[in-house]
Amino acid sequence: METSWVGRSAPRDGGVDRVTGAQQYVADIHLANVLHVKLVHLNCARARIAGIDTANAARVDGVRCIMTAADLPQPVPRYGPVREDRPVLAVGETKFFGEPVAAVAAETEDAAEAAAALIGVDHEELPAVLSVDAALDPAAPLVQDPALRANDPLAQTNLLGEWRFTWGEPADARADCIVENDYSFPMVTHFAIEPHGFLAAPDPEGVTIWSPIQHPYILQRVVASALGWPVSRVRVIAPDPGGGFGGKGWPKFEPLMAFLALRTGRPVRLVLTLEETFQQVRRTSARAHVRTGFDLAGRLVFQDIHADFLVGAYADIGGRVVSKAGYAACGPYRTPHARITARAVLSHTTPSTAFRGFGTPQASWAVESQLNAAAAKLGIDPVEIRLRNVPARGEAFIPGETPADGEWDSALRHAAREIGWQEPLARRRGRGISLGVKSSATASASFALVRLHYDGSASVLSGTSDMGQGARTVLKQIAAQELGIPLERIAVVMGDTSVVPFDSSTSASRSTVFMGNAIVKACRDIKDTLQRMAAETFAVGEDAVTAANGYVRVGGRELTYDQLLKSHFGPPRGEVIGIGQERNPFVADHPLGGKPAFWELMCAAAEVEVDPDTGMVQITRLALVSDIGKALNPQQVEAQDEGAAVMGLGHTFMEQLLLDDHGRIRNLGALDYRIPTIQDVPSSLHSVLIENADGPGPYGAKGAGEGGTLAIAAAVGAAVNQAAGVEIRDLPLTPERVWRAICEREGAPATTVARRS
Amino acid sequence: MRPFRYARPNELTDALSLLAEHGSDARVLAGGTDVLVRLRLGHLRPGIVVDVKHIGELRADIVETEGRLRIGARAVMTDIIADLRIRRYFPALVEAAAVVGSVQIRNRATLAGNICNASPAADTAPVLLAHGATVNLIASSGPRHVPLHEFFVGPGRTVLGPSELVESIDLPLASGKTGAAFGRVTRRRGVDLATINLCCLVTESGRVRFGFGAVGPRPFVVEDDLSAVASAEADTGAPAGGSGRASQDAALDRLLAHATPISDVRANRDYRVAMLSVMIRRTLDAATGRLRLMQSGA
Amino acid sequence: MSAIPIALRVNGRGHALDVRPHHTLLEVLRDQIGLTGTKECCSEGECGACTVLLDGRAVTSCLVLAVEAEGADVVTIEGLAAGGRLDRLQQSFIDAGAVQCGFCIPGMIVAAKYLLTTNPHPTVDEIQNGLSGNLCRCGGYSRIIDAVASAARSDR
Repeated sequence: METSWVGRSAPRDGGVDRVTGAQQYVADIHLANVLHVKLVHLNCARARIAGIDTANAARVDGVRCIMTAADLPQPVPRYGPVREDRPVLAVGETKFFGEPVAAVAAETEDAAEAAAALIGVDHEELPAVLSVDAALDPAAPLVQDPALRANDPLAQTNLLGEWRFTWGEPADARADCIVENDYSFPMVTHFAIEPHGFLAAPDPEGVTIWSPIQHPYILQRVVASALGWPVSRVRVIAPDPGGGFGGKGWPKFEPLMAFLALRTGRPVRLVLTLEETFQQVRRTSARAHVRTGFDLAGRLVFQDIHADFLVGAYADIGGRVVSKAGYAACGPYRTPHARITARAVLSHTTPSTAFRGFGTPQASWAVESQLNAAAAKLGIDPVEIRLRNVPARGEAFIPGETPADGEWDSALRHAAREIGWQEPLARRRGRGISLGVKSSATASASFALVRLHYDGSASVLSGTSDMGQGARTVLKQIAAQELGIPLERIAVVMGDTSVVPFDSSTSASRSTVFMGNAIVKACRDIKDTLQRMAAETFAVGEDAVTAANGYVRVGGRELTYDQLLKSHFGPPRGEVIGIGQERNPFVADHPLGGKPAFWELMCAAAEVEVDPDTGMVQITRLALVSDIGKALNPQQVEAQDEGAAVMGLGHTFMEQLLLDDHGRIRNLGALDYRIPTIQDVPSSLHSVLIENADGPGPYGAKGAGEGGTLAIAAAVGAAVNQAAGVEIRDLPLTPERVWRAICEREGAPATTVARRS
Repeated sequence: MRPFRYARPNELTDALSLLAEHGSDARVLAGGTDVLVRLRLGHLRPGIVVDVKHIGELRADIVETEGRLRIGARAVMTDIIADLRIRRYFPALVEAAAVVGSVQIRNRATLAGNICNASPAADTAPVLLAHGATVNLIASSGPRHVPLHEFFVGPGRTVLGPSELVESIDLPLASGKTGAAFGRVTRRRGVDLATINLCCLVTESGRVRFGFGAVGPRPFVVEDDLSAVASAEADTGAPAGGSGRASQDAALDRLLAHATPISDVRANRDYRVAMLSVMIRRTLDAATGRLRLMQSGA
Repeated sequence: MSAIPIALRVNGRGHALDVRPHHTLLEVLRDQIGLTGTKECCSEGECGACTVLLDGRAVTSCLVLAVEAEGADVVTIEGLAAGGRLDRLQQSFIDAGAVQCGFCIPGMIVAAKYLLTTNPHPTVDEIQNGLSGNLCRCGGYSRIIDAVASAARSDR
């Protein structure tokens, strides 16, 4: 009897360890003889460093090493996943609040903390550039030294990059209905419940780094490059992250830790506080000016989008966030004419990095809100206006690009039905709907090894990171399905660059497709080998043998895999190793380096109730519809969608980093940076999965996990705007912002005595 | 956290002499939910922390005595919320205590600690003020009893002397029937510090008292006479119309005028003013409703 | 500042150790006793990741000095599974799909354990109230609510 291992909600691998406290996160790893590290940063964003006095700090009992830029190889190594622009420690000038100027390594955390407090940094605060306008002012100081941006035509500006995408004849396009508005999306931070942590230790080959990094191979090459070493000398061990969301994707202090480990000759440990974590990672904030043209039937004629994204002091992956967001900024809609300008603007703020959805939530907020504005102006239902513009399967919505690869109109219909779109609306309530589409991985590669052991059990070696999405479970399910081996007899090995083969990254919702396919191929490789073995063993032609579902069949004979292996290898034993790879080739002249493997599409529909006196909003109903091809583990996919949606409610309602004039984050830490709690969830949240087996991954799967963040803000925002009779175009929709918009609509000054409600 | 010494006196005299000996270098530790945060951030740098949780003379329970409920210095929010007498006579205090942080915080945070921390936004303060609470202090020189409205001096500051402790907090049991309700506005439904908070207490004679929080440097109490409106409503059971409502609005605006909110990371000034105006009415309605229930013998 | 000797029970086992006054119970549990199941996140009592039972009550151990736990009975996540069998809450969290990255889970389960001890059949509202001090960033909380409700039902 054939068992299907995919499409079932197999219990999460590692679930037992997580509920018993046995799961080892990076901060739980104990290394003998370890030194504890503490970083020193200044109390402002930008300052010229005149001198660093470490004498008092060095006298603290237990201090073994104090490192500043002067103690590193000169010129100070710079690192980064795309541009190597970030110094291992601040050189001459700090560029953002939280950039370390010194590091202390000591026998105890207390000693390191005491010593760090005694380090005196003689510095002069300099004016900091903290906004797009400030950065683009001709008189603004340059965030990055032009001398470090050789061959960069933008070196004399605060533009990290500028991308333009145009098609059709946008300048000549005529439209009967034009909507033109400005939108803004706040600066938010990931706030994974696990703060960042790093370990490093010298080892016989070179150095080992422990980091809950989503992309171990990228970290490996970045550290090797900073050290000036071949990658073969750097080993990265990646414990499962306690939440990543993109914030643990790109190297932070690992290069510094490598230098500390090599300098001291001992293992070193750095676990950041939550406040320090906030200072290191955030989403790219954005503002967009959008001019959209429609005909009287609500069909798009043109979209003219100008979006400025505020990246931080160093590039990190900020350029790609902007280019990808700009490329697909028009959304999942047929747009005959388009002109898109997307700019990444440098600033003296935390380097922005990847964050679930990349740059698309920011773009969606603007573009979807435009559709709602047009719907209102034209008297067309917001669901209907989208149905008139959404492309059919196979239709390109960006010229020359991977076409629409799903029944996207059905996502709209499902969501509308879930929310009871046609039902009469109660007083003070409103409804909204939104689509969101994101390009998945473009050029990338995943390699997988599968080992079929002598006893018929198997191990899967994969470079994917399991940060809660359940990758380990899903990859195991795929191997079980392909080999016909029960889940309990399969082990998955991840997170060690010395052991598992290369994988580009765990990002862009790519792992189910790329790593999944690589594993399918590796299993096929094994089955091919088994076929050859059986043919040889029984002296028949290979075409007389089939290997499937845990059995090899030769003529009337049926052998389990382990029986075949025993027969083939005899007492000395052996194993069968299968290799698989899935690669999307790099295309140099493609704006994204390659075509998206698939589109990740999500539809969100929301119903809210607004208290007009206080501005507080309650979500009464929320529906999420994802077009995912095939749910290999339905429970895990639904949980991901729900989590993404609630995360999206954060930037929709309550999350924003607030900076003061010195560029310091005012709401640093959990007390004043608010994320959704269990009491902030919608009264009803329903997740629907569309499975048409139309994805490029195993069994027709696509990727998932980011969708929820794309469409939530626009759907909820539309609902709030309807319920309150306002048009708010800036996030987050805090109670105060909603209240203020209502006051302005009523033409009443803010201090009017409230009416009896 | 910077290191400090720790003392755990078992007797009041020992505690007080420790505090006298170390002066401003000592910090009292009860539930720790405020103190440990400030220690960690370096806002407090004591040389010695004096843990008062083992002092025999400081009680953790609630005692009914001579027309008041005496809440011991060591009583934590969880126990206050659960106490049947508090639930019966001071439901507004239950409402306020129930939103002080989370369950985990409430299992440790003492009411005494909450008022000593003297945050302008302390949720329990408006309720205690509206009910005319008294703080019983003890020092080597002897006890003193300070009405709560004189206890708060400014943000984080009280009249508590350097070698003085809170022994208990008294809530007078009302002689007549009263109704009281707590209200607050926050940025999210979940655990949060108050943008504004307040408590309304109405008496049968029509006097209305409001305790206000987060709209000034310290929580404070104001009082007015809405008897004309309050009794008209009590007779007809319907909200007063026309000129009755106008005079009530005027009275409430007079009370509002005492508030001096600021703009900070949580909210802007004008929003606080507007929310106070909204919540004044909502808590007045709720308090009046409770009073009517009491009067009908429920 | 010299260390202070304390004696306490953790998960039913007695410990006698010297602690620094400024070290929290969380730090001592993790670094001195070696029970790393309890997690550190915000260190100011806002996220609940460090929740343990202290003399039967759920507290955020980052806000308790180790010295304050002298003579106390502490239960951490490691103390819930008895004799190698998962507590019904632990099982129901897995079954409901409430576990993703897992970092919030130890604190969440201990807080839920306390909730069910004090209120064996909580309503959804009461579950939300009881877990309002525990943040989760991966999930949407609804599965956590389901897990607790399910564990409560299974105890009828």
